[in-house]
Amino acid sequence: MSAFVEVDHIDQVFRLPSGGSYVALRNIELKIQKGEFVSLVGHSGCGKSTLLNIVAGLHRPTQGGVLLEGREIKQPGPDRMMVFQNYSLLPWLTVRENIALAVDEVMASRPRGERRGIVEHHIDMVGLRQAAEQRPSQISGGMKQRVAIARALAIRPKLLLLDEPFGALDALTRGGLQEQLIKICEETHATCIMVTHDVDEALFLSDRVVLLTNGPEAHIGQIIEVTIPRPRDRMKVVNHPNYYGLRSEIFYFLNQQKRAKKRKAKPTAAIARNGLEKVNLELGFIPLTDCAPLVVAKEMGFFTKHGLEEVTLSREPSWKAVAEGIATQRLDAAQMVAGMPLALTLGFEGKAPLPIVTALVLARNGNAITLAKHFYDEGVRTPQDFRAVVMQTPDKVHTLGMVHAASMHNLMLRYWLAAGGVDPDRDVNLTVIPPPQMVANLQSGNISGYCVGEPWNSRAVQENLGFVIATDLDIWAGHLEKVLGVREDWAEKYPQTHIALVKALLEACEYCDDYRNREEILELLSRPHYVGSPPQYLRPGFIDPYTRGTGTAPQTLPRYNQFYVDKTNCPYRVEGLWIMTQLARWGITPFPKNWIEILDRVRRVDVFGEAARELGLLDIEPDRGPIHFFDGTVFDPDDPIHYLNSLKIKRDIRIEEVLIDALEAV
Amino acid sequence: MTAELDQGSKRRAASRRSGILSGIGKQSQKLVPPAIALAIFLVVWQLLCSSPDATLPGPIQTLSETWELIIDPFFDNGGTDKGLFWQILASLSRVAIGYTLAAVIGIAVGILIGTVKIMYQALDPIFQVLRTVPPLAWLPLSLAALQQSNPSAIFVIFITAVWPIIINTAVGVQQIPQDYNNVAKVLRLSRQKYFFKILLPAAVPYIFSGLKIGIGLSWLAIVAAEMLIGGVGIGFFIWDAWNSSRISEIILAIIYVGIIGLLLDRLVDYVSKLVVPEEQKQG
Repeated sequence: MSAFVEVDHIDQVFRLPSGGSYVALRNIELKIQKGEFVSLVGHSGCGKSTLLNIVAGLHRPTQGGVLLEGREIKQPGPDRMMVFQNYSLLPWLTVRENIALAVDEVMASRPRGERRGIVEHHIDMVGLRQAAEQRPSQISGGMKQRVAIARALAIRPKLLLLDEPFGALDALTRGGLQEQLIKICEETHATCIMVTHDVDEALFLSDRVVLLTNGPEAHIGQIIEVTIPRPRDRMKVVNHPNYYGLRSEIFYFLNQQKRAKKRKAKPTAAIARNGLEKVNLELGFIPLTDCAPLVVAKEMGFFTKHGLEEVTLSREPSWKAVAEGIATQRLDAAQMVAGMPLALTLGFEGKAPLPIVTALVLARNGNAITLAKHFYDEGVRTPQDFRAVVMQTPDKVHTLGMVHAASMHNLMLRYWLAAGGVDPDRDVNLTVIPPPQMVANLQSGNISGYCVGEPWNSRAVQENLGFVIATDLDIWAGHLEKVLGVREDWAEKYPQTHIALVKALLEACEYCDDYRNREEILELLSRPHYVGSPPQYLRPGFIDPYTRGTGTAPQTLPRYNQFYVDKTNCPYRVEGLWIMTQLARWGITPFPKNWIEILDRVRRVDVFGEAARELGLLDIEPDRGPIHFFDGTVFDPDDPIHYLNSLKIKRDIRIEEVLIDALEAV
Repeated sequence: MTAELDQGSKRRAASRRSGILSGIGKQSQKLVPPAIALAIFLVVWQLLCSSPDATLPGPIQTLSETWELIIDPFFDNGGTDKGLFWQILASLSRVAIGYTLAAVIGIAVGILIGTVKIMYQALDPIFQVLRTVPPLAWLPLSLAALQQSNPSAIFVIFITAVWPIIINTAVGVQQIPQDYNNVAKVLRLSRQKYFFKILLPAAVPYIFSGLKIGIGLSWLAIVAAEMLIGGVGIGFFIWDAWNSSRISEIILAIIYVGIIGLLLDRLVDYVSKLVVPEEQKQG
């Protein structure tokens, strides 16, 4: 079935008085289903209003066109009624006359009495009975906008277009009108396109938020599905577990665009110095205890020692932002969750494969699964217990938080659930929430638990909101957790820089694992521009014995945050292979038939080896042996397909050849 | 209780009285400065013209010499020997005809060139040139064309008043906010509805500023035109008085012309207040 509205590859070019031309919109393609509410969000001047005017028919695109129910839009018409930013009421007509003008013209074939009835109905609908006889100049801005909305809805448009409808109103009026609008839209099943600057407004009202990049040549940068169920009210939306994730995703996009604008003004060129190709590096990190090696390398001078004199650490809002930053080359390198280089290389979430390499494991362990306190009171101690509770309450959806599809948190949480017989997709609902927002979501009851790195488990324990049912030491002791990731083409362009970076971080890792340094590192981490969490939340596991919030005595876990000892840092291939089996198991990526090639490309043991040799550190890869898990299963790296087939709970596994070079040629 | 009430009502009455009094006081206060200015003006005039070899009469002499004309504006001795009322009425009727023609044609042409861009581009330069031609320059041409004096005078009024009306109307139409036009486009308003519900109300303040300039100009033009064409009318009355050296009558006529001009201007203002929507008033 074709879409209700189809924006078909629109280009908009304006002729400039100087004789040149300005490409405002480039290749905009968007399909909108009947009854959908879509918001267009972007910075000022990105052409979102132009796009809306094109849909309205007030403006003809230079290329492409818009189809409404299969017919091309060539001129404005009442089936696409617009609510204008400045209301556009006729000042010489009263509220009633303004609405009646539209109704009488558009519904001229209906009898007069019926038209009157429609006008009066809509006056009541927006609560303007008292003001019906007043002129626009005699009523407030909020009332004017209500008249405009009533006028638009009264003629029953197929498509309602809203151009920053509440932009000029105060916050209180805006909130009230948004609630009225959402109610009306839900009642009338209107299809709406709204242009707005207000991210919360977009999230509250929309089914999809279309993010436009900056002009010139603005295009659709990202489309965000707002999966919050309807009917909605504000509290329900704000408390939804996905809300802050979506919100930060949009803000992240807008900030990126802002930065892109600045960058265009001042491109950062590579500064070559000290025998390195590039000494000015931008490194992304997420505020977690295990970002310590990056912080230490910066603050303790390991970067400078290895010639990287201008390293900036960029605190990122989410793992998705990290991936985006590397893809767009805003970041030179980043702390990544262990599966991210593989997932990006294989291509996931509908994105084309982007080869990423890792030459260093930054940390092992350090995660835990936290469940809400009430599960403890119900006697939940194992995944099997958890399954029993989930099965007893089939009408309640238990949502669990994790930080990224390709993170060890997701894979281990899924592994742990599946080991207990819980299908992580069918029995519970897993959702991506940035680490710093986990505790707040647990507190508000939006989620039942989560798997995340520290300090976000200890925080829930200390605030008595949750308890740690399992640390990753209980599931797979010594698993890789965070890695250093760079684009493959970056690594090829700056090979010496890459080695210097690995050396600096490797020394920092060694420094981090010396318990004598931990107090000092703790002070660094608790600074607001790094993790910014009070030290008491960072201590458990990192310095102090680990408290699970189960009443048992705190446990000393010397390997909980492992940065160097026990051959931590080598990105050896068996672990990578296990990650790929898990990514395939849950349908996140296909399993590559050419897995040996992929592993060699992504996990750069050679670069690690070179760096370690130059530092005079022992250069050995851990033994290429099987991995043992808590549930007794063993992963044999020689037969991954057999391992995949032996798993009971899994999705449809795609096994295919992943060719990354063909796409690289672009 | 009653006493209190009584006292209260008395106080209120008193305050109301004082309110009225102060209202009158305010009104009269406003009249005081112009009255004083007028008195000073008259005194200076009298002093300047009191010397025996003065060429112009003073106010007292003017008043005494024209007293007959003032008290009896309605006499009619045939020919051009008529009371001032008839003289002014004749002038006003010419203005009325010429100005009405100018208003009707001016607004129509203004709307036309305001809505049709190509017409505006074609005609605006011509209008800009013609607009600067002094009214009297048209008179010989119109006499040559129309052969009669009265229609020629009316034509001069018309041609004087029509330009500001055309230009202001055109600007008013062009200045209709794009938002209103967008509303009309989206609703697909019929031409007739667009004209009456959007174009006219939106342009009406501009039209009236054109009309106001037009009325002033036509009253200016009529006096000059009548001096040349003769016949009954305040312009020729002045010219006739000059020819017969009745300077006092000239002064009286000038005063009348001034007052009538002011009243015409106020009349257009008043009409515009009735017609222009409250929200469209321009600061």
